[in-house]
Amino acid sequence: MQLRKDIGVLKWVLIILCVVFLAVMLLLPLVYIVITALREGIGTYLAAITDTYARKAALLTIEATVWAVVINTLFGLCAAWCLTKFAFRGKKILSTFIDLPVTVSPIIAGLIYVLTFGRQSPLYPILDQAGIQIIFAVPGIVLATIFVTFPFISRELIPVLSAQGTDEEEAAALMGAGTFTIFRKVTLPHIKWALLYGVVLCTARAMGEFGAVSVLSGHLRGKTNTLPLYVELLYQGYDFTGAFAASSLLVIMAIIILVLRCWLEHKGDKANDIR
Amino acid sequence: MQENTSYVELRHINKHFGDFQASKDINFAIPKGRLVALLGPSGSGKTTILRMIAGLENPDSGEILIDGKVVNNIPGSERGIGFVFQNYALFRYMTVYDNIAFGLRVKKASKEEIDQRVRELLKLINCEGLEKRYPSQLSGGQRQRVAFARALAPNPQLLLLDEPFAAIDAKVRLELRTWLREMITQLHITSIFVTHDQDEAIEVADDIIVTNQGRVEQDGTPQELYSNPATSFVARFLGNSIPVKNYHEFQYFGAEGPDTEAILRPEFISIYKKGENVQFKKSAEEGVVQDIIFRGSSLEIRVLLHGNLLSAIRSINDPPVQIGETVDVFIHRLFIIDGDKITLADNQSLKRESVII
Repeated sequence: MQLRKDIGVLKWVLIILCVVFLAVMLLLPLVYIVITALREGIGTYLAAITDTYARKAALLTIEATVWAVVINTLFGLCAAWCLTKFAFRGKKILSTFIDLPVTVSPIIAGLIYVLTFGRQSPLYPILDQAGIQIIFAVPGIVLATIFVTFPFISRELIPVLSAQGTDEEEAAALMGAGTFTIFRKVTLPHIKWALLYGVVLCTARAMGEFGAVSVLSGHLRGKTNTLPLYVELLYQGYDFTGAFAASSLLVIMAIIILVLRCWLEHKGDKANDIR
Repeated sequence: MQENTSYVELRHINKHFGDFQASKDINFAIPKGRLVALLGPSGSGKTTILRMIAGLENPDSGEILIDGKVVNNIPGSERGIGFVFQNYALFRYMTVYDNIAFGLRVKKASKEEIDQRVRELLKLINCEGLEKRYPSQLSGGQRQRVAFARALAPNPQLLLLDEPFAAIDAKVRLELRTWLREMITQLHITSIFVTHDQDEAIEVADDIIVTNQGRVEQDGTPQELYSNPATSFVARFLGNSIPVKNYHEFQYFGAEGPDTEAILRPEFISIYKKGENVQFKKSAEEGVVQDIIFRGSSLEIRVLLHGNLLSAIRSINDPPVQIGETVDVFIHRLFIIDGDKITLADNQSLKRESVII
């Protein structure tokens, strides 16, 4: 009995600690963003978020995110597939490299691309001749976003795929099903929820990316400014209302993603009952 | 097993996984319509053989023939086989109906044809009414039967089963063994199943192929393997075999050579209580009961004889013996192993007594 009481006290202490911490660290700043954004009235807020540059920044953020999610989904599927279904030399190294973007600072990632595709790179003349501009242009932003987000989807898929084993695929293959049919009918239903969850995480991270994109963007208003960069620009120019209004756009997107994530987790848990 | 009637044949099959040789010059032939067990301890290469027949692995050298054709370069899906996986590998995101229908849908059969065949199979496996369930909502035995139906749906000529009863609890396993045997006999489909359980192999199979360390040790009917083991491994592996080094100390058994060893099975030994009036009493030796194990339908008696702990079976209806009791032990026969040569030695007193009588 005594032991149980102690655990009860501990439980409440931990819960209160967590709630206070989250309130101070997360909730308060969010509330502050909304309040500051609306401080000069709803009219000013609307004007700030419908500003041409704000709109363009939001569109560019979405564009980079979509590219990153599409490419990382394909890459993530391939990487997870080959890491779980085949045995080969260097598998461990490949697996470690996938995690690299999580450990490397985004600024360094940005600099790597500047060095690889910038003026001092041997690749530059070739790209220049072909008329492809990567640094200080949209392709650079997309590249940076892909780099920082590429472990997310494969990391979600690997545990699910390795838990499933290859028996079901072999069974389908023995009955004469082709690779694509096997993927669609057997593998995909199994990894569906993990894949969607990975996409959500990837989207959230891609939207908020600042460091790597900042290095590669060149900060051209209306051309290479994503929302996070635009927020910083307004903030540096003492336009607090504008900065917080633009931030609120990001917050709204993040909340949509969060809701999606909760719903997916719920759905995924239900689907797991079928195991 | 005659050459010209064999349905499945393996000729000089070798297979390596890295440095490990899983199959060493495998040769056997299986006649059409037989139910064959691949029996061996784990790691003996039995599953590898099954997977090579199915086309899930390719042999390094040698030929696999199915129905008289070399199938080495024919993909598994075109070999006319049905495969039941060890853990069934049912498609867990498909209903029972879709699982069974999968093979037919892949082969682009018409809707009516598929429906008719699935209904027929559901009836065969006694799972009518379960077609809308998912595999997770079935019992172990039902899953096994659905896996069986799924493998049979496209009308294969050869059925391969990998440890079909391994994942099922003991009681259901016994029922399923009988069921599977009846089913396969009724359908008259050539079948090969892998097992490490000798009781299962003996009870279910027409023929048994014993594998050990990548080799085929012996193939034949269960009776042949039991009474005529070809190698010392088979003699030791089958039955509840107990090795005995000093068998020449036993009465009425002569020593065959310096490095020989004997194998004794419980059914070779009879145990009599002192004072029990029996036939072989005069030529029995005295042993001391060490342990009595209740086996449900019988008693296993462990008895110490010339320093060897032997096992014998005694009926529940016989007068009971106690631990520590001195009993008469009569050994009817034993296998003598000399290198890889095996001979069956009978108790010499059997001849003499018959002469006296």
